[in-house]
This record gives sequence, C-alpha cells and structure tokens, in this order.
Amino acid sequence: MFEWNTVWHFLFADPNHLFLIAAWRTLWISVVAQLCGVILGLFLALMRMSRFPYLNGPARGYIWFFRGSPLLVQVLLLWDGLPRIINNPNFLLPDWACILVAFSLNEGAYMAEIVRAGITSVDVGQMEAAKSLGMRYALAMRRIVLPQAARVIIPPLGNEFNNMLKTTSIASVIGLLELTGTAEVYGSQNFVIFELLIVATVFYLLLTTIWGYIQSWIENRLDPNRTIKTELDQKSWAARMLGFGSPRPGGAGTLASGR
Amino acid sequence: MSVQQQNNGSSREMVRAEKIVKRFGNLTVLNGVDLSVKRGEVVVVIGPSGSGKTTLLRCINHLEKIDDGRIYIEGELMGYREKNGRLVEDSEANIARIRSQVGFVFQRFNLFPHLTALENVIEAPIHVLHEPRAEVTGRALALLDKVGLADKANAYPHKLSGGQQQRVAIARALAMNPKIMLFDEATSALDPELVGEVLKVMKQLAEEGMTMVVVTHEMGFARDVCSHVIFMDKAVIVEEGTPEQIFEHAQNERTRNFLGMIS
Ligand SMILES: Nc1ncnc2c1ncn2[C@@H]1O[C@H](COP(=O)(O)OP(=O)(O)O)[C@@H](O)[C@H]1O
Ligand SMILES: [Mg+2]
Repeated sequence: MFEWNTVWHFLFADPNHLFLIAAWRTLWISVVAQLCGVILGLFLALMRMSRFPYLNGPARGYIWFFRGSPLLVQVLLLWDGLPRIINNPNFLLPDWACILVAFSLNEGAYMAEIVRAGITSVDVGQMEAAKSLGMRYALAMRRIVLPQAARVIIPPLGNEFNNMLKTTSIASVIGLLELTGTAEVYGSQNFVIFELLIVATVFYLLLTTIWGYIQSWIENRLDPNRTIKTELDQKSWAARMLGFGSPRPGGAGTLASGR
Repeated sequence: MSVQQQNNGSSREMVRAEKIVKRFGNLTVLNGVDLSVKRGEVVVVIGPSGSGKTTLLRCINHLEKIDDGRIYIEGELMGYREKNGRLVEDSEANIARIRSQVGFVFQRFNLFPHLTALENVIEAPIHVLHEPRAEVTGRALALLDKVGLADKANAYPHKLSGGQQQRVAIARALAMNPKIMLFDEATSALDPELVGEVLKVMKQLAEEGMTMVVVTHEMGFARDVCSHVIFMDKAVIVEEGTPEQIFEHAQNERTRNFLGMIS
C-alpha cells in the first residue's frame, strides 16, 4: 500500500527537516567537490598540455585512471583501501572527507579535459601576443588565455555540476546520509523506502532545476551577442560576465527609469 | 672570444643576429642569416612567401627557438645564456624581460578580444612593468590619440576595422616603451583602402627615430622610409643594401625577378 501521507509528510511537514538537511548535505558536497575538481582540473590541464614529459606524463596517467574506472570503485578504494595501505586499521577518514577527496579527484580528471578543450580553443596568437609584450606564461594564462577559454569551459562545467548533484548519491554506499542514503536508511527501517525515494527524487529535481536556471542565466551572460550589447558599460570583464550589478541594457532598467 | 668582448664597441647595435639557423623538422627555414640593426635604423625585409621572413622576426624575440647562431638585443644574448662555454636556454624571466623591450606587430593583429582598445594598451605596462594604472592610462590615451583612435578607447576589437585594430596593436606595443619594433607584414591582412592609415603610423614612428625591422610587401614604404633593405629567398639573405642599391641596381637575378614580379 503506497502511503502518500508519508511522501507529503517528508516533503512539507517534517519537523525534523530530515530531507532538507540531507539536501543541504548533497548540495555542499557537490559544491565543494566541484570547486576542488575545477582547480585540480585546471592544473592537470596545464600539465597535460606541457611539452615536458615529466609533467604531461603523470597528468595523462591520472586522467586515464580516473576517467577509466568507476567512481564507486574509487570511493571504495579510498574508504576500504586507505586504512590498509597505511597499515593502520584504526585510521579512518571521516565519511564526508573520503567522499570529498574521491569526488574531487575524479572530477578533476573530467574538468582537466574540459579546461584543456577551452584553452585549445583560444587562438595561439593570443599567447604569443602576450609573450611578445613581456608576459610570462603564468601571467599570460591568467590574464589573457583563461578569460577567453572561460566562454568554452563554462557550459560543460555547468553540466558537470548537474551531474555532480546526482552522483553524490554514491556517498550513500559508505553510509553518508545525503538524499539517497537518507531515503534508504529511514525507508528500510520503516518499510516506506519507495515513498522516501520519491521524496529524495523531488529534492534532486528541485536542486537540478534551480541549477538549470542559474546555468542558463550564466550562459546567457556569456553569449557574445550580449557582450556586444553591454560593451559600453565600464565594468571589469569578470563583472560583465557574471553580471554583478550590471543593469540589463535596454531591459528592465530602461523601462523602470522611463516611468 | 667571450660574449662581452664580441659586443664591445657596438653599443649602437640594437639587434645583432649571427649565422641564425632555424629548422622545422627537415625543413631549413633560416640557413645562416646575419642581421645588424643600429639604433634609429629602419631595416626592411622583403622576399617571396615562405622565404623565412616571419621566422626571422619570431626568432629575434625568441617566439621560435633557434637551432644555431646567436641573437643579441642591445648586446644581450637573447633566449640563451652561456654556461661552461655552451649555450643553454635562458630563464623565462630573463627572456620575458628582454621581450618586453621589443615590440612585435603581428600580421593578424592578435588584439586581446576580451579587452577594450584602452585595456589592450594598458594591460602589459600594468602587469609586466607594474606601473601605476593612472599613469599608464594617461600614456595609453596619448598613444591611441597618436595612432588616430582617441575616440575608440572603449571599443572592443571586434567593433574595429582591421586598420583600426592594427593601429591599436601598434599602440599596445609602444606602451611598453620598446627599444625596437618588429613588424611582420603589418598591412597584409588589411583591405587595400585600410593599408594607408597603418603605413602612415609606421612612417611617423620611423621619422621619430624608432628602430624598426619591417617585413613588408609595400615597396613604396620601403623606398621612402627605410635605410637598409634585405632581400631573402629560400632561407638565406640573397642581397642587401640601401633602397637605391636594391631597387635600382640589384645585382642578383633572384632579386631582380622578385622586384619585377611585384611591381
Ligand atoms: N611552425 C612551423 N612549423 C613548420 N613549418 C613552418 C612553421 N612556420 C613556418 N614554417 C615554414 O617555414 C617556411 C618559412 O616560413 P615563414 O617564415 O612564415 O616565411 P615568410 O614569412 O617569408 O612567408 C615556410 O616554408 C613555412 O611553411
Ligand atoms: Mg610571413
């Protein structure tokens, strides 16, 4: 007998906010792992593109390993394997730390390929022009190449984060009570697992839908046609791209001021 | 003979290239090229497509590594340093420091598309020379004015014509107060009606005494402005001399053929 009451209760009337807390866990794990993944991916991409074998070799191997084996296995390797590798059965990473490390390492490999594609999309003449002005590699990368690569990097980065929100369900296998884990544990205790999985699904959809809106808003900001329209405002490039406080030209701002 | 001794008494020499050899795989693109550019001199390099002109300029500021020979910028060995009598790759910082004194103008402009004209010009002085922004901005606006683009300071490159973009690129290079400017076919990518405005800027620079190495197909410019013409073909300098020597009394048949073909 399916209990709609249970679904309703955990969605809207739970005084303990069980799933709200679980959703928060899912969210912060995703955000932190994605951020670490982006930073890691940036360095891996730069290593991978280096002409020195002792830099690009390890990067290739890393990417090969983390993209070529399941995340679930990587999590378990870290969870069960680490205490044995360091030969101390009492040593245990807290579950959240284990998940963050495994997810970040894994995401880094995927982000490396995305960042590399972004950097490759920037004309080599940009790096050469920067160098001819006396910029060193790191400065030219930071000031000239990466800001242009961002246009290409950000859309797939958004998709990665959408994936990340859902992939966090893997954390439940080591007992971390994010959305999926919460549904499973409380559901099997009370024989309402199906109901609670529905609740978890609703929360997942909520998170991914909200992110979808944020993503399309960011991508809209990145649209080159839009930059042309906003080019007269004097804000820094980053401010323009992320749209901090810049009024929509010819949009709401003008309408409001016309009143 | 040490590096130091070699360069004594040639302090007026801004660029010195000795027996430059550059290969791409099996292809030898520069085969023992010598070049000497004195302060205030304007050297024009002409020659058929593929003769190695671009590569020569790129070697001068070490955008390409050379396989043999030596290049000195104002007496300083470029790209390499001597270690136990052998040449080893110089540090990135040193290469960058010397490059910052050599302006390079590309055939395809290579403006930074995410920055406005003004931002393009102030970028390197602020982040490489660490000069105060206000000071640099003043100088940059003056430079944009000099190349006739004072009103375009806040325009993004894609809103500018090719000629305007190239003039911004020249202003960008000049903002570093370079000791020498290298131009690689600065007008070749331009529509014919836009060539003049860029040549005018280059001519003005030459008249102000800027040391320049100019790769170009604009023979009119070469005749009017330069002090020395170099004709390159098939990876070597075939003939060089004053504009009059090259344009009126070329000795080599390849030179005469080339000049006959393009005029
Ligand atoms: N990066 C490169 N890799 C391989 N071959 C190159 C490269 N750059 C130039 N070349 C070759 O070197 C020769 C000289 O090129 P370049 O210096 O551009 O000549 P120019 O500027 O006189 O037209 C050409 O045959 C060209 O194909
Ligand atoms: Mg060329």
